[in-house]
Amino acid sequence: MENLREKPSLKRELGLLHATMLGIGGAIEAGVFVMLGYAAGLAGTALIVALILCGVINFFTMCSYAELGSAIPKAGGEYTFAKAAYGGFVSFLTGWFEWISNMFYAALSAVGFSYIISYLIPVNVPLTAVLTIIVFTFINIRGVEEVGKSQTLMVGTLLAILIAFTLNGLAIPKTDAFQLSAPGGPLGVIQATAYIFVVYLGAEAIAVAQAEIKNPSKTIPRAILLSAIVLLVIYPLIAYAMFRIAPLEAISGQSSPLIYVAQLSMGDLGKVALVIAGTIAALSSVNTSIMAQSRVAYALSRDGYFPKALLRIHDKFSTPHVAVVVSAIFTTVLAATGVINFVGYATDFGFIIGFALVNLSLMKLRKEKPLLDRPFKTPLYPFTPIAGIVTSLFLLIFIDVGVLSLGIVLCILAVLAYYIRMVGYLRFRVAFGGISLGLGGFTLVLTHLIWTGSMPLNGVSPTTITSIVFILLLISAVQIVAGILNVTAKSS
Amino acid sequence: MSARKKVSMVVGLAQSAIGAFATVFSYVLYHNFFGIQAVLNVPQGNLLLYMLVLIVFGSLSIISGLFLVNEQ
Repeated sequence: MENLREKPSLKRELGLLHATMLGIGGAIEAGVFVMLGYAAGLAGTALIVALILCGVINFFTMCSYAELGSAIPKAGGEYTFAKAAYGGFVSFLTGWFEWISNMFYAALSAVGFSYIISYLIPVNVPLTAVLTIIVFTFINIRGVEEVGKSQTLMVGTLLAILIAFTLNGLAIPKTDAFQLSAPGGPLGVIQATAYIFVVYLGAEAIAVAQAEIKNPSKTIPRAILLSAIVLLVIYPLIAYAMFRIAPLEAISGQSSPLIYVAQLSMGDLGKVALVIAGTIAALSSVNTSIMAQSRVAYALSRDGYFPKALLRIHDKFSTPHVAVVVSAIFTTVLAATGVINFVGYATDFGFIIGFALVNLSLMKLRKEKPLLDRPFKTPLYPFTPIAGIVTSLFLLIFIDVGVLSLGIVLCILAVLAYYIRMVGYLRFRVAFGGISLGLGGFTLVLTHLIWTGSMPLNGVSPTTITSIVFILLLISAVQIVAGILNVTAKSS
Repeated sequence: MSARKKVSMVVGLAQSAIGAFATVFSYVLYHNFFGIQAVLNVPQGNLLLYMLVLIVFGSLSIISGLFLVNEQ
């Protein structure tokens, strides 16, 4: 018999301070340490404006999180909201993107961690990122004690270091006045906004941890909005301090501009302090996002969208170990790229779609369940959620084209996964058999064209062409046989 | 295990491996690891298209292969 034990219920121990720290800690991750350089290259010193824009766009959607988090007293965040408002495909799509975004977020944090420690010791960035994911996967399988109050201590330390860095930057005497410059014009600022948006993501963790928060109807909206405001103040100030210490040209070329600038202004002590802060931020994000992605996969499996195997709970550690491992495999592949920009944009993509769906859920519930008890109401409705949807989707236009392509593939996979459940396993398998036959036939034609020279591969050596032809023939054979086997499959 | 199940298992694993290889290869090509773009003489302008085609091909192959591996 399947072991499907639920976790025991959690105690409500987190007050306003702890919940706010949870939100701030969720948002301040490795990204702020390693992404400001590239963003400064896009926006110039107007990066400050880009950070304010991000904060305002984030604030619109945080109002929706605050209302839904207080009105729907269930753990689960975005997926729970969409399930209450829409159910069906929309709730599945929300859960799907929540799962995917957390995988990207974990990969981003692991790659960011590798760049941060590379300031102290030379490391292979992709390899270190992969090892980080593997270590935290094992930690998550073994299970971690709830960190509530210690999280507050960690985030407090992190904030103290960042505030000290900022105050130090503000205190440095400057003879020339600070000037905003945007070498790439308004477009560069918007591109930077789309890229750097990720540094605000994570505050919605408060809504996810609803089950542990005291007096949630009051504390959740206050903590979400408070953490959004704190971030909106602190990030532009950090960027301002950074530009006061070092010129734009020096900052934009750095893999970790904050650590570079801290070393310039505070010497080795500053460098070590910022590496410690970055390490705390990155590792806590890796841990949180690996835990979050596995719990979302578990919830999707519980609702019948994902295979039941993901519901298995470890006999000894009482954790959903299969869900943890499956999610970690995908995360490891992403972390192995070691490319911070790509993973950063991909994280933005997933969360932006999630933001739009949360705002839509709010509007749907306002219309269909007007009598729902809402301890907090989003101000200026419907302007605020509409602004949240429009502004966040607008950022998608400026996201890396490769990431958008990947996003389209992920949407197609979401539709496939959903319809496997809806139309039945066997019919879907037959459909995939047809796709495999098509791929096999296409590969065979391609092989023929290359072999006969009808499709010339200019500049490629004959030996390489022969190897390519043999590989394509093998692929074609496997695809055709696989297609026949899937098409002829019988119901078990 | 019946002969069909054995064949399904082997072909499914091969198809999933091809899919995984195509996906990894798209990253290798995109980031030009081992100077692969020069070896295959890939024009820069078509890189994103190749990456998209390889990822779609890889994803479909992995899913189809998993159907065969999990055949009851």
